[in-house]
Amino acid sequence: MAVPRYCPSCLSLAFATSTIFRAAPRRPALLPLPPPQNQQPIQLRPASTNALKYRRKDPAAAQRRKKARSTYLAPDLKNVVQFSLVDAMRYLRASEVGRPPTSSKYELDVRLRTAKNGAVVRNRLRLPHPVKTDLRICVIAPSDSPQGLAATAAGAAIVGEEEVFQAIRDETMKFDRCLCHTDSLPALTKANLGRMLGPKGLMPSVKTNTVVKDVAAAVREMAGASEYRERMGVVRMAIGQLGFTAEEVRRNIRAFVENVKRDMQGISDQTAKEMHEVVLSSTNGPGLSLNGTFGSADADLGDWSAAKA
Amino acid sequence: MVSLPHRMRKLQTRLLAIRLGSGAYILPKDINRIHMRFAPRIEGGHMGPRKFWHHELVRLKYHNPAISMTTDRTARAEDPAVLSVHFTSPTPTQSPDETTSGPAFADSTPAAAQPTERVSTIDMKHRTNAEILDELVRMTKAQAVEATEAEREELRSLEEQRVKGAKDSAKSLEVRARVAREKQLLEQARGELAADAV
Repeated sequence: MAVPRYCPSCLSLAFATSTIFRAAPRRPALLPLPPPQNQQPIQLRPASTNALKYRRKDPAAAQRRKKARSTYLAPDLKNVVQFSLVDAMRYLRASEVGRPPTSSKYELDVRLRTAKNGAVVRNRLRLPHPVKTDLRICVIAPSDSPQGLAATAAGAAIVGEEEVFQAIRDETMKFDRCLCHTDSLPALTKANLGRMLGPKGLMPSVKTNTVVKDVAAAVREMAGASEYRERMGVVRMAIGQLGFTAEEVRRNIRAFVENVKRDMQGISDQTAKEMHEVVLSSTNGPGLSLNGTFGSADADLGDWSAAKA
Repeated sequence: MVSLPHRMRKLQTRLLAIRLGSGAYILPKDINRIHMRFAPRIEGGHMGPRKFWHHELVRLKYHNPAISMTTDRTARAEDPAVLSVHFTSPTPTQSPDETTSGPAFADSTPAAAQPTERVSTIDMKHRTNAEILDELVRMTKAQAVEATEAEREELRSLEEQRVKGAKDSAKSLEVRARVAREKQLLEQARGELAADAV
């Protein structure tokens, strides 16, 4: 520890050797004042009006007038510790151990090099492996018909006709949305389920576009597209659930990053934007900067990344 | 994070805490799954399991990512707190589960890639996380992970910087407080001057 030096000009102790603490910029010399224990107000000679007119302006104001930055900070990445996707996921999965695999999410932050007052990137995207899939969709169609099978393949929670009607009447079935195939509509109206589903807003009807011909496409559409927008120079979006394998996360990341790149090109005539850094993090985990590679640097663990957490 | 060095320092501290510390063990290859069942609140002796989950299990998961580790926090306070280790015979090739694109349901029973041959349990109730870890290590004959020279060096330098930073922060606070006080006095003086001149 260096011996602290007393700097008379700024009436403070100056530390020259500390590497982390950078001393505040030296302020211009302040008037020598009596020590603060003096209780009486400071008595100075009343100055002439001329002196007041030409008095030096507050020195701090001169410093305050320095120009604000016009772009967001983009620090040099050569000092950043970066990880491959698999290495990053290993840390994140460890941080999230024991949590339900659909509740913890991975999040991707794409940091851009951009001006502060320009246009922002804003769009919707349907990921190859959607993140928010807890929407339970019920489809009224014969479960063995091609439409019914396609609906199950598209991710509907419950598919069927008579058994579904019975389950709704018994109140054993719980779902968030309900779709109906056009051919099954007469059966549905005959089953008289309006009293059960109507108040919940789940009754399929032509008006709400819940009576459809192509059920599989409707189920996929309903599962929803995730929206993203750029805030303060960063585009953030949930990119996966904890239970996703590394391959799924990689596909999602690729789709998202390519989409963002396309959006940036689209507005490049208004504002120039560049991707600076990509950071993966999770609900309870640290944020890890990705270096763009997939495989692990440490090869002797074997292929664990295909396991579902 | 304000600056890159600050961010990197915090990150490295956290990552080293995940890699090293109590619970950093490599488990043998014949373990398939570890499952914990305990209550959501600590009354009734469930603090040990909870601490184990937050500290030791994180490090175990980092060093053994292929072992599925799950928790079930739906037990009542009077129910037993049990840690079960599922063993199986190690096979040379493991076929990983392929993915599905359908909705995933949250549950505590993963699809095991291999059949479980035997299950050993540890009673966790009214025990500290250190005791639970000791028993687990004894039961599974796990291998401890030692810090490498580079990691020890890094831990030392991070700790040094943290201590130094705390000291510097206290001093700079003192300096700033003094400068602010003087500025306040100056303002007061100038205010009096303006009042006198008017």
